[in-house]
Amino acid sequence: MFTVDCDCHNYWCSATVLEPYMEEGLFKDMFLRGERTGPRGAFPHGHRPWFHPEGFARHDVQPVEEDDNYAIMKEKHLDKYNIDVAILTGDEPIEASTLANPYYANALCKAYNDYMIDYWLPKDDRFWGSIVVAPQDPHLAAAEIRRLGSNPRMVQVLVSHGANRPYGDPFYHPIYEACAEMGLPFAMHLGGQGGINSTPIGAGPTTFFWETHAILPQTAMTHMASLIANGVFEKWPSLKVVVIECGVAWVPSVLWRLDANYKALRKETPWLKRLPSEYFKDHFRFSTQPLEQPENIQHLWATLEAMDGENTLMFASDYPHWDYDDVNKLHVPPAWREKIFGLNALDVYTRLPRPAAQAAE
Amino acid sequence: MTNKHFACKVEDVPTDAAKIVTVSNMPIGVFKLNDGFHALLNICPHKGAALCEGPVCGTTKETDSTEFVYDRAGEIVRCAWHGWEFDIRSGEFLVDPKVKTRRFDVSVEGSDIYVHM
Repeated sequence: MFTVDCDCHNYWCSATVLEPYMEEGLFKDMFLRGERTGPRGAFPHGHRPWFHPEGFARHDVQPVEEDDNYAIMKEKHLDKYNIDVAILTGDEPIEASTLANPYYANALCKAYNDYMIDYWLPKDDRFWGSIVVAPQDPHLAAAEIRRLGSNPRMVQVLVSHGANRPYGDPFYHPIYEACAEMGLPFAMHLGGQGGINSTPIGAGPTTFFWETHAILPQTAMTHMASLIANGVFEKWPSLKVVVIECGVAWVPSVLWRLDANYKALRKETPWLKRLPSEYFKDHFRFSTQPLEQPENIQHLWATLEAMDGENTLMFASDYPHWDYDDVNKLHVPPAWREKIFGLNALDVYTRLPRPAAQAAE
Repeated sequence: MTNKHFACKVEDVPTDAAKIVTVSNMPIGVFKLNDGFHALLNICPHKGAALCEGPVCGTTKETDSTEFVYDRAGEIVRCAWHGWEFDIRSGEFLVDPKVKTRRFDVSVEGSDIYVHM
C-alpha cells in the first residue's frame, strides 16, 4: 500500500551541524558563543517545564555519529515498513518558536532549513522537506517561506503548536498569505511549550510529563477554533492546515460546540459563510499519531467517523519518538486505510508525485 | 513437550541489558538477575516492538504518600518503544498483569544457557 509518513523526525546528534549554515555575523556568534540551554550542541530554545522521565526517543534508536541518524531511520523505519514518502519534520528546530528574540529564532530556522535541504534531502528519494519558521515574527516567517517555497522538494510550512497567541489571530496572517502564494500547507506540530509560549495548558501548568502530554492537544483546539473563526479560510480559500501529533478524538466534540455557537451568534463573525465544521472538512487535516487507544475500538471509530476521518486523517509515525505508531498496527477502519495511509496526503501535499497506479486514474 | 535450545553463553549476558538471541526463529531476550537467568519473548504484547531491547531498571513502588521508593532495581524491562514496564521473571505488564509477554524456562549447563520451549 502506498504509504506517506507525515511526521518523520530527522534527528541530529548535535545542533553544531547548523554551524556551517549560520550566516556570518551576530547570530552565528550567538550560536557559537552565546548562552545555551545545555552544553555545546544544544539547540537554543526555551525548554518546556516538563521533562520526559526516559528521554524522548525510542530506546532502540541510539545514534552515535551524525550519519547514524539516517542509517538507523532507513533500517528501522523506512525500509522495514515500506514507507514511500517521508515528510521530514526536523525535531528541535520548531522550538525556535519559544525564543523571545525573533531575529535569532529566524536565523536558526534558516540555518536548519538550509542544513536539511543540503544534508537530508539528497540522502533518499523518499524524503520531502518542511520549511520550519519562527512564527513570533510573521513577516520574517513569510520571507523565509518565499525564500524556499519554490524549491519543489518542500511540501509544507511548519511551526510548533505551542504559540504565544491563537494562530487565527490577524497577527499571523502574513504567514498564510505567503503559504497561499507558494501553494504550501501550513502545519503545526506538537511542541514549543516553553519560553514565550507561556500558556500551553489552560488554567496553568500541570505537574507530570504523562499527565501533561495527554492534554497538550488543548492548544490545538484553540488554534482550530481561532483559524476558523478569524476567517483565514475565507481569505485564503486554497489554504490547508495540517495538525500533527495533537490527538484526533477531541475534534468532533469541539466542532459540535463551534457549530452550535455559530448558529446562534454568527453575527460576531460576519466574514464567515459556512458552518465551522464545513471549514474544517475542507481545510484541516490531522495526523493520526498518537492515535487514541480505547478499550472498545468501536468508540474510537464512531468518533473518527464524526470527523470524516476517512478524508481528514493522514498517517504519521512520529519516528523515532517514544509514542511512535507502527504502520502495521494502526487501528483505523480497514476500508479507510488506503486513504489514510497515502491518498489523503497526496491531496494535501500536491507536490508529491502520484504513484503510477493513481496517476493513471 | 518442551525442547531445550542453546541460547547463548553465560558471559554473553550483561547485567544492565538483555542479550538478544534468535532461538527456533523466535526473538528472545536473555536476562541475568540476582537469582539467575530469565528469558522473555522479544515482542511486546502492546504493539509488537522489541520489548527486551529497552532499559533494564527498577521502578517506583506504589505508596500512599509522595514518598518515591525506588524498588525492584534490575528486575524490570521497559519496552524500547513506548516504555511499558514488564516484570522480567513473569513477563507481566506492571499496570495490568493480564497483559504478558511469553516467558521461557531457562537452564544453565556449564557456561551454556538453554531456553526451553
